[in-house]
Amino acid sequence: MPENDPEQELGPKITAALQNQADAQTELQKTGLAREARRRVRKRRQTLSVAAAAVVVAVAIGGVWNLATGGSPVASNASDSGSQAAPESAASGRATNGSGLVPPKVATGTACPADHPILTAPGPTAVPAGTGLDLDMKVTGMQACRYRLTPGATGLLGQERFSADVAQQVVDEINVLPERNPDLPVFKCTPQAAQPSEAIVLRFDTADGIREIWVQYDGCDSAGFFTGTHTYGLYAAPLKLFMTGEVRPPGGTYLNALKGWYR
Amino acid sequence: MEAALAAAEPRTGPLDFELWVTEKSDALLRFAYVLTGDRSLAEDAVQDALTTACARWIRVSRADDPEAYVKRMVVNAHISWWRRFRRREAPVADPVRTAYAAPDGAADRAESEAVWALCATLPDKQRAAVVLRFYEGLSYAEIGELLHCAEATARSHVHRALAALKTTLSKEGAEDA
Repeated sequence: MPENDPEQELGPKITAALQNQADAQTELQKTGLAREARRRVRKRRQTLSVAAAAVVVAVAIGGVWNLATGGSPVASNASDSGSQAAPESAASGRATNGSGLVPPKVATGTACPADHPILTAPGPTAVPAGTGLDLDMKVTGMQACRYRLTPGATGLLGQERFSADVAQQVVDEINVLPERNPDLPVFKCTPQAAQPSEAIVLRFDTADGIREIWVQYDGCDSAGFFTGTHTYGLYAAPLKLFMTGEVRPPGGTYLNALKGWYR
Repeated sequence: MEAALAAAEPRTGPLDFELWVTEKSDALLRFAYVLTGDRSLAEDAVQDALTTACARWIRVSRADDPEAYVKRMVVNAHISWWRRFRRREAPVADPVRTAYAAPDGAADRAESEAVWALCATLPDKQRAAVVLRFYEGLSYAEIGELLHCAEATARSHVHRALAALKTTLSKEGAEDA
């Protein structure tokens, strides 16, 4: 066949040339190939093992973390007894985990619950029935709990404990507020933007146990103090009493329009 | 080599990797050298192939022809270098003859050197196809499989290389005459 001609003509020459060159290569490194191959395989496997171990450790830490945070309702019950109402300010600047969330103080019995109902509530205004504070009740202490509400990344951002005096001042300041602050802007936004990225739960120590006020200052749906039965407008006077340390937010849709909310 | 490309038949037991490498390293390195045209690249390609083979040695050693299996890995390693360093390749317009026939009866050796030098100027895929065809004696179907191209493309690689070599050798032959 004509197309085989070049092969028949040049093929033997090429074969001979390649064979000669291959035979002439006596200086190629022939020793240690197997040893080096085994070393590389071992190193690859070690690298994979280390990576796998890192993943396992990360997953394990996550699991332990979930277990630890899952036990927080016990701490809440302890708080409900009112026995931990000693006036003290919680330490600020505590370590946070990689996501910026704060581990709850499970052992002290004064921890903010990591799985607080506000994280799954339709909104910060939906205080469950029976848990809201009656502002005419005497309070003996207060725990402020700041939560991130971003879907898929909810958690406790910070917590501070306040004395009975401060707690009562907060209640008194809220009690005189109107239902809404007319000085705050009114927004029109999408449902997604309406959801606040964070909110604060004020947990008051009372004779009936823990009672709460939810504080909404972000998003564009509504803003104020919510007890489940009453709504009070968002004003700076009560905010500046407890928006300190870990529970002082960097800002918020309504906070940005409000002056004097922090000391 | 052909047998290795066919379905591998299981052996009774795995070969010892160290013994096998000791026995076959020379052939592997020489093959890699004619494939790459460079000692360092040849050694690297063989080392990479042996590392891959070591990681799955039980399977490799049970193949009908482990040597062909590993040579295939060498080709793949070389092809991956092409991909990695493709931008660094400098295209050569025409093959250049760098060795000339000696007048004293060493004509065969000189011609061998000349063919080798001309092979070095071929594009990488053409060179690989030529090596697999004339050094390893593979069919075009096998070459196509190794180079991840169609059989017709493998045939085209070889024929273009042959045409270039023939043209250059004929031209140089006429000049020598």
